[in-house]
This record gives sequence, structure tokens and C-alpha cells, in this order.
Amino acid sequence: MKRLDRLLLRFSEENVAEPITSQVILELGIPMRIVTATINSLGGDILIEVPKVHVDKVVKAFKKRNVVVKFPKLIEVDYDKCFDCGACYALCPVDAISFKEDGSVVFDEKTCIGSPCGLCVDACPARAIKLVEQHRSNQK
Amino acid sequence: MVAQKKRNGRSIQEINKKIKSGDVQVVTAEEMKKLVESSGVEVAYKEVDVVTTGTFGAMCSSGAIINTGHSDPPIKMQRAWINDVEVSHPGAAVDLYIGASQMSETKPFEYGGGHVIEDLIAGKEVELRATSYGTDCYPRTKLDTTLTKDDLNQFYLLNFRNCYQHYVCATNSRDEIIYTYMGKLLPRFRNATYSGAGALNPLMNDPDYETIGIGTRIFLGGAQGYIIGEGTQHDPSNGFGTLMVRGDAKKMSTEFIRGGAFTKYGTSMYVGIGVPIPLLNLGLAKKTALRDEEILTDIVDYGVPRRARPKLDKVSYATLKSGTVTINDRTVKVSSLSSLKTAKKIAATFKSWIENGTFFLSAPAETLPTNTVCNAMKQTGELTFVGSVAHEAVTCGVDEDINAVAKRIISRSVNHVVVTDKNGEVKGIVTSWDVTRAVAEGKTRLADIITKKVFTTRLDVTLEEASRKMAQHHISALPVVDQSKKVVGLITSEDIAKLRGR
Repeated sequence: MKRLDRLLLRFSEENVAEPITSQVILELGIPMRIVTATINSLGGDILIEVPKVHVDKVVKAFKKRNVVVKFPKLIEVDYDKCFDCGACYALCPVDAISFKEDGSVVFDEKTCIGSPCGLCVDACPARAIKLVEQHRSNQK
Repeated sequence: MVAQKKRNGRSIQEINKKIKSGDVQVVTAEEMKKLVESSGVEVAYKEVDVVTTGTFGAMCSSGAIINTGHSDPPIKMQRAWINDVEVSHPGAAVDLYIGASQMSETKPFEYGGGHVIEDLIAGKEVELRATSYGTDCYPRTKLDTTLTKDDLNQFYLLNFRNCYQHYVCATNSRDEIIYTYMGKLLPRFRNATYSGAGALNPLMNDPDYETIGIGTRIFLGGAQGYIIGEGTQHDPSNGFGTLMVRGDAKKMSTEFIRGGAFTKYGTSMYVGIGVPIPLLNLGLAKKTALRDEEILTDIVDYGVPRRARPKLDKVSYATLKSGTVTINDRTVKVSSLSSLKTAKKIAATFKSWIENGTFFLSAPAETLPTNTVCNAMKQTGELTFVGSVAHEAVTCGVDEDINAVAKRIISRSVNHVVVTDKNGEVKGIVTSWDVTRAVAEGKTRLADIITKKVFTTRLDVTLEEASRKMAQHHISALPVVDQSKKVVGLITSEDIAKLRGR
């Protein structure tokens, strides 16, 4: 499988109405996978996956159109708090949570889809999982 | 002494001598199973003196008794709080019991008695607040101070139900997420949870309690503790044995005692327990060879909020530990609520204590009962269920004319008509108000006025719960459905009001 990198595109009230994502895809001819989209007329976020080799080109194309591009950190796990029960494991819809050989619970932060999901967060009895707030200065 | 030396067997005294001389052979329950598989039970029995077990899970019926010493002037505490968690005052002036599941008044569901105990064990400073009515001998009426475990005269874990032999696997048939003491359960059987260490569980390795009883020295929270009897709800006849335990919390570690928070349920405490099983006879060696494949438990529907929840299937701990179970022919992921990693660590740490000669076995003064059961509560008040109040539902099809529905509302003198498909399943609900509004707004299609998101209930739900659901969603009726979502009746707030007024 091709290595994919994740990018978080942040649209503002000013540019959200433009078909920017389509324009970039057409211009570059690079396929992108939209993982999640949380968006309305005031702006919002689209999480995309693009082939690693094309990341620089894609970032440049979006930045040119005044889209803020980030390499997102969607979830934060406090492994000191976690006591490896695994209550989170069965709730994950994208199989981002697994057990290591020794029974430790591990999160694949590259697979996790973050705030549109968050099913595991309130199921953690150790309160070790936090969604990373994606600060949106352009939104309420 | 109960555990006498048996013919061709070992005695606890002999094993303790070997611990002292450093010749003792100890394996964890996991290693024992492997050894029996590879070399047979006779060889394993000959080679091994002690098998260590371990479990680490949420054990709500836990707590700590503390004595704070007397203040000057002294106080007879009437109500007291530590870090805003109310603690009880079961005894004289300054003895307090911190219940693990008691919740903080300022951070309920997030911080509770279990967290207070964890913080004290960690050496943190906690805030004690107390009030009283004042007596001639204890004049003080208010107290505010900070404490650490070093300031306490006694700080003992005193857990009245720990270490369930095994537990059920929980799932949820409802159309909504439910939050339970078995964790977060997704709608329509989309996940499952279980608890317990399976073949590593202390009681599972000596299910007839030949070596376990009052006075058995154990691993408790990272220190040495004792079994002080069977736990409450001890139900060995059904494989649900429990333990009552005590241990010096000042010596414990937060690696093995942790506060826990269950969303919309409450707080709890994770307790680490290990029991040593001395192989006094060949029978015990066979029992400690028990594998996860042989331990079966029920998959239970927690979507039905009754004491006797429906059992859907049986599953082994081996399957549970694999991460998936089959429910209604579908494979779903299953989460453990207890930590297998920590359970293994307990068994291994415990093994090293015995090998290093820092832990000696004790024979129980009296073994645990093996034939008791846990009975249900005697109830004097009678509860009413939806089934005894619900009446026949007036229904209509999705394609019917609004006028026809209006006529039915009048002829049957009802306010709610349940919209069903040809199989009798709920598709929506229409009220007399909806029809009135349709007339006012000139709407003629029934489909435009149907409320499609319908909250439903079942015959075996209590009336109290049904009315809570109506109040919560600001609605005045609930269609009653069966397992296959077919409408079997209707219950309205009017029905409930009539009953209350009776």
C-alpha cells in the first residue's frame, strides 16, 4: 500500500464557499481521500489523506488558496494514567486501538479520526484519552 | 488448621520451610497451564509448590478505613468530606470510611472515593472538611485541615466484595448508547464488554476453596494483605465467589490501586489482588491447570434494565480475550474492563516475593463457604410495569390520507396514532396536534407531518422508567414494541397520570 500522510485543511468563512478541494485535485491530478469533514457556512475542517510523495505539492496548492494546512494531532493519550484495561478497544470504528504482546494498549494516531468520533474518550475509566482541540479562530 | 498435611501431599509448613531456604518452586497460573500442557499434571505437581494468581479490575464494593487522630479542641465528626467526597463516619469521633464509589460533590462521575484512596497512597495531600453538632466532650463543630497518609493513625483497605470468580459479558439491544457499570455499550449489539482475568483469577484456580479462607495472606494493592472472609453476594454455587479483604494501604502502590470513572454511572476503584495457591495435593495441581477455553460465561443484554437480564449466549474467556465475540451471528469487538496486563504483572510480582523469601503462606483459620447462594431482595412495595398499563395502539399506514387518520383520531378518541409498515414495525407517530397543524398549514400528505424519530418502550420496562423517558424527550406517548420492533401497544402520559391519581 502507498504511504499516506494526513493533512488537516482549515477553511474560513471567506473561502469555505469556493470549491477549493476539487480545484486542487483537478490542478494536481493527485487523488485524495477525505477521512472526515466538519464544515458549515462559517468554515470548518476537512481531514484528508494524500500519498506521502505528493504532500509538499498539495500543501502548497492549498496554502496558495488561503487554506490553513496542518499536520494534525487528533488525540492525546496519557500513558501514565492508562492502566491498560482496554475498555476503549471495542469502541473504535477504525481499529486504531490494539494490544501489544505484553497486554499494553496502544493507539495508532495515524489511523484515529479524532473529534468527529471520540467514542473512546468518555469510556476510559482512567480518563487518559483526550481529543486535541483544533482551535478554530474563525468559528464560534 | 484446615490445611493439614495430606498423604502424598505437601503441607503449608513444608512450603514455608522451602521459602525460607530459597528452594521453593513458584510459577504463575499462566506458566502452570503451559507446564501441565507440556509435561503433564503429575510432573507439574511434583515440580511446583505454589501457583500465583492475579486480577486487576474495578471493584466498587471497596474502601478504606482511616483514623485521623483527635483535633484540639476535639470534634465528633458528624459529616465529613475528603477532597469534596463525602466519607462516612461509621464509628466514634474520628474514624472515617472512604467508600470507593462515593462521588465528589464538585466533580461527580469524574472523581470519587477510589481517587481519594489513590491520592493518599500516592502520598498526596488531601483536604478534610468536617461538621458536627458539638457535645460537652467534643465541643468543636467545624474542621478544615489537610492530611497525607503519614498523618493517619490507620489507613487500611477494607473491601467487602472483591475479586469475583468470573463475570458476565455485557452487550446492549437498545437503539441508544447506554452507560453501565460494564462500561459504554453501543446500540444494537455493536460491541460487548467483559471483566475478569479468566484462568488467572485467584478463585478460579481453587474453585472449591481448599486453601482460601479467613486469614489467607495475599497480594493486595502491591502489599501483603489478608482475606477476612467471603465477600458480600458470595455465590459459589453459581461460580460467582467473592472475597472480603483487608490490607495496610500505607504500604500499597498506585500501580495496583487506582481510581476509576465510569461516565454516567459513577466512580469506582481498580484493585489488584493475587492469591497464592499452595499445591497441597494433585487435585489442586489439576485445578490450577484450568484454561481460558474451559471457563464459560453468559453474554447478557444490559439493554433490559431488569434484575434478570436476558442471556443471549455462552462464551469462553479464551474467545473474550481474542477481542471478538459472535452475537446474533455477527462478529463484534469485545473490550475488557479489567487489565490483563496488570493481572499478569501481579502474578509475576507475587511469584518473585515468594521466591525472594519475603512472603510466607498462611493456612486459613476457616475456609470460605462453598454452598451459599446470593438471593434477590425481598421487596414490599409493588412495581408497575408498562405491560400492565399499556393499551392497544391505534395505527395507520404510511400512505394513508390525513383525513382518514383524522377520522380515526375522532372515532377512537385518541391523541396518538402509530404509523406502521406492512410488518407492523413502527415507522413514525402522528398526534392530533400534528393533524390540526396540517389543516392550519394546508398540508395534505401524511408523510409531511409524521414524526419519524420515535422513542419506544417495552412491556417489561418499569412505569417509572417509561415516564422518565417521556419527560426527558418532552413527549406524551411511547409506542410499546416487542423484540422484533413490532408495535404491541401504546402508553401515554395520561395513562400514567390516571394510575398515579388512583
